[in-house]
Amino acid sequence: MDALQTIIDAIALGSVYALVAMGIGLVFGVMRLVNFAHGELITFGAYALVLTNHLPLVVGIVVCFATVIGLSLAMEVAYRPLRTSPPTTMLVTTFAVSFLLQAVALLAFGARGQNANVLEKLNTAVSIGDLRVRWVTLVSIAVGAVLLSGTALILRRTDIGLQMRAAAMDFRTAQLLGVRATTVIRFAFVLAGVLAACATVLLVVSRPLVTPGYGFQLVIPALVGVVVGGLDRLTSATLGGFAVGFAASVLGDVLPADGRVFLDTALFLLVIVVLLVRPGGLFTRSRAAWERV
Amino acid sequence: MFVADAMLEIRGLEIRYAGVPAVRGISFEVGRGEVVGLVGPNGAGKSSTLLAIMGMVEPHAGDVLVDGRSLVGSSTEEIVRGGVSLVPEGRRIFPELTVDENLRLGLQGRRSRDGAEEDVEQAAALFPVVREARDRPAGVLSGGQQQHLAIARSLVAQPSVLLLDEPSLGLAPKVVEDVFAALAEIRGRGVTILLVEQRAQFAVGFADRTHVLANGQLRLTLTPADAGDTDKMAAAYFGH
Amino acid sequence: MRRLGSASQLVAPVALLALVGLAGSFTSRSVQFQFRFALVMATIVIALYVFVGNSGVVSFGHVSFVAVGAFAAGLTTVPEALKLSLSPDLFPIIASAEVGNAMSLGLAAAVGGLFAFLVGVALMRLSGLAAGIATFAVLVITNNVLRNWEAIGPGARTLSLVPETTSFMQGTVGVIAVAILAFLYQRSRWGRVLRASSEDPYAAQGSGVNIYRQRLVAFTLSGALAGFAGGLFVHLLGSITTQQVYLDLAFLTLAMLVIGGVGSLWGAVVGALLVSGVNSLLLSAEDGIGLGFVDLDVPTGTRLVTLGAVMALIMLFRPTGITGGREIRLPGLR
Repeated sequence: MDALQTIIDAIALGSVYALVAMGIGLVFGVMRLVNFAHGELITFGAYALVLTNHLPLVVGIVVCFATVIGLSLAMEVAYRPLRTSPPTTMLVTTFAVSFLLQAVALLAFGARGQNANVLEKLNTAVSIGDLRVRWVTLVSIAVGAVLLSGTALILRRTDIGLQMRAAAMDFRTAQLLGVRATTVIRFAFVLAGVLAACATVLLVVSRPLVTPGYGFQLVIPALVGVVVGGLDRLTSATLGGFAVGFAASVLGDVLPADGRVFLDTALFLLVIVVLLVRPGGLFTRSRAAWERV
Repeated sequence: MFVADAMLEIRGLEIRYAGVPAVRGISFEVGRGEVVGLVGPNGAGKSSTLLAIMGMVEPHAGDVLVDGRSLVGSSTEEIVRGGVSLVPEGRRIFPELTVDENLRLGLQGRRSRDGAEEDVEQAAALFPVVREARDRPAGVLSGGQQQHLAIARSLVAQPSVLLLDEPSLGLAPKVVEDVFAALAEIRGRGVTILLVEQRAQFAVGFADRTHVLANGQLRLTLTPADAGDTDKMAAAYFGH
Repeated sequence: MRRLGSASQLVAPVALLALVGLAGSFTSRSVQFQFRFALVMATIVIALYVFVGNSGVVSFGHVSFVAVGAFAAGLTTVPEALKLSLSPDLFPIIASAEVGNAMSLGLAAAVGGLFAFLVGVALMRLSGLAAGIATFAVLVITNNVLRNWEAIGPGARTLSLVPETTSFMQGTVGVIAVAILAFLYQRSRWGRVLRASSEDPYAAQGSGVNIYRQRLVAFTLSGALAGFAGGLFVHLLGSITTQQVYLDLAFLTLAMLVIGGVGSLWGAVVGALLVSGVNSLLLSAEDGIGLGFVDLDVPTGTRLVTLGAVMALIMLFRPTGITGGREIRLPGLR
């Protein structure tokens, strides 16, 4: 049952990527800002788990969440001068912040990886019929599903969620109606932080070696997914993230070693093609005009 | 023109965009419960004035006062909570949200949640579309219905001053009549209204008085009696 | 609109570069390398500026052109035997190619320019966010291909034994030549049209300007200059690996341009020299072996943190950079 195994693993990785992509999409929706530094939330969350290695698991997870959400809120404050900036400035700034945080991690923790041995039991496998599936795979899928639907529920059913959706559609009119810009943006960053923290814990179980580039390496494909899926809508962005995670996992299993090295090239060629041909994204219904000259 | 018990005061308002003057020092007042119209040709500065009141545009000089309090420098959020609400040009409803959701957004502008349900019911009574199309996406509504929704949305924010930017835009005369009938109801409840219109005939006949704004300056003031006077109406329309 | 035409605005950047070149040659051996490194960085940053400064469009991918230029110059100036020992599958034409120093630099420029042209044909319709992401994609793809396609180069292995011909003379002359070309472009009709279009795209289109074509011209030119800089780079280091012309260099050169001031040649020069200077200072302070960016896994990372922090702060609070994006005219000159 190799194929089924591959698919289940792919769904798990796709779920984790979807969490990251959704976080990026939420912030983009309310601020029109693509946060290159989103990956560093994961990096620092992972290091938090490293540092609390010897403490009880619950403490570790709490510290991880606190670190990630705290850092996300700090980013919200730092990015405030950017609210009226052109997208180019935003892009370069978040790139700078990403590099800054990576440098800080390098300074604080060194270049060599450190181990965060979290929930190692989840790496053990359980037999379901003919399959041997790791617990973490099942947990990833479950957590992913819960969080994604939970976030969707918040957006659809709560007042703050309504405000966020409105702000993402037409920020100016939302303001005219009295929607509090700062509250909405801050909430988006908090929510993105929660999603990132969950993704971090799940990731660290399968990949316990944490380096300064840990999150950056992950956020690049996730960003690809968001762009390819469709930046303008949360559902298409999240779906794009899932698709990239799914594809990366499948290709990782299926491709021979030689073919795998050009995975990045294939992925990024796809990004360029999508940007040129269908800038609104693959999973959106209409062609959104995206700053075409 | 000096009005006793002014609810909305514009004093020497000057607005510039990148150094180019759009509004060159205008002053007028709207009394409590009054309806004042502002008409003039395109680019005269009408929308800019409304945006300045709402805090979306910073005036180069001058002041805006509501109930004696200066609004200049306050954020749009604060101004809305202070009781000023704008029904924007082109209605700008959220087509992908349902009618109900659009309305609920308007509730964000209230100072307190008390009485929200009653106000929503009142809006539903005044604008049938709110009741009938509650769970449908606002994008499927007709122009007139969307205008009703936009007004309802601003109304549930409990404004003491209601600003309207070209409510007749893109609507057939019969539909405009409906809209103005609703506005008459609102006026009857004592809401102070500033009405910006490019189609002067609607404003002049409806408002207590109407100012003509042309090239950033106030040129003359009309009363409903002038609605039949073609010369004056032409002057209003072309901004002489 | 700023007056970009006056030739006196070229004096300051060229003078500063010449000064740095001259002063550097009188320093001790180990410090000399830092100076030459600064000059080569300035070349890259000026090349980047030619596109970004005139079009207003961000490019994360220019280091790709530096990369192909570096490998082109490097591969054509090392012995065939070495090349084949590194990658036996190398295309015969590359394996047998051997040219002199000047030719290698010319080749680097040509390869960089051609590559930029091809990329530009596809990408110049994009602006803003889309351009940033697309050019970033180009960076990743170039690195991925160079690193893994062993028929065109040494792959992940280091290409060494490249003649270290970037002396103070070559470095200074090279960067000044690039600066002059950049200046000639920005004061030419094409350069001014592009700059005006970036400031007011609607007016430009209304006047019949083909923004796509203008951007392509700037992109190609800047790609050629970047390729040339890549040639200088490989002849400075005497070796090259794909990691040296990837993300870290991309970030560094972009930071230099942004800190100095995106809008002007003076900004590019000031940014490059200033950041290089601070970088070297911090490097000595960390007490490491000053070999520039040969290996980034140096335990101490203060200078990276400093650089990142300065860049972030500038972007947040003074996005026009130290020079405010203005050219400088020395007093006393017309």
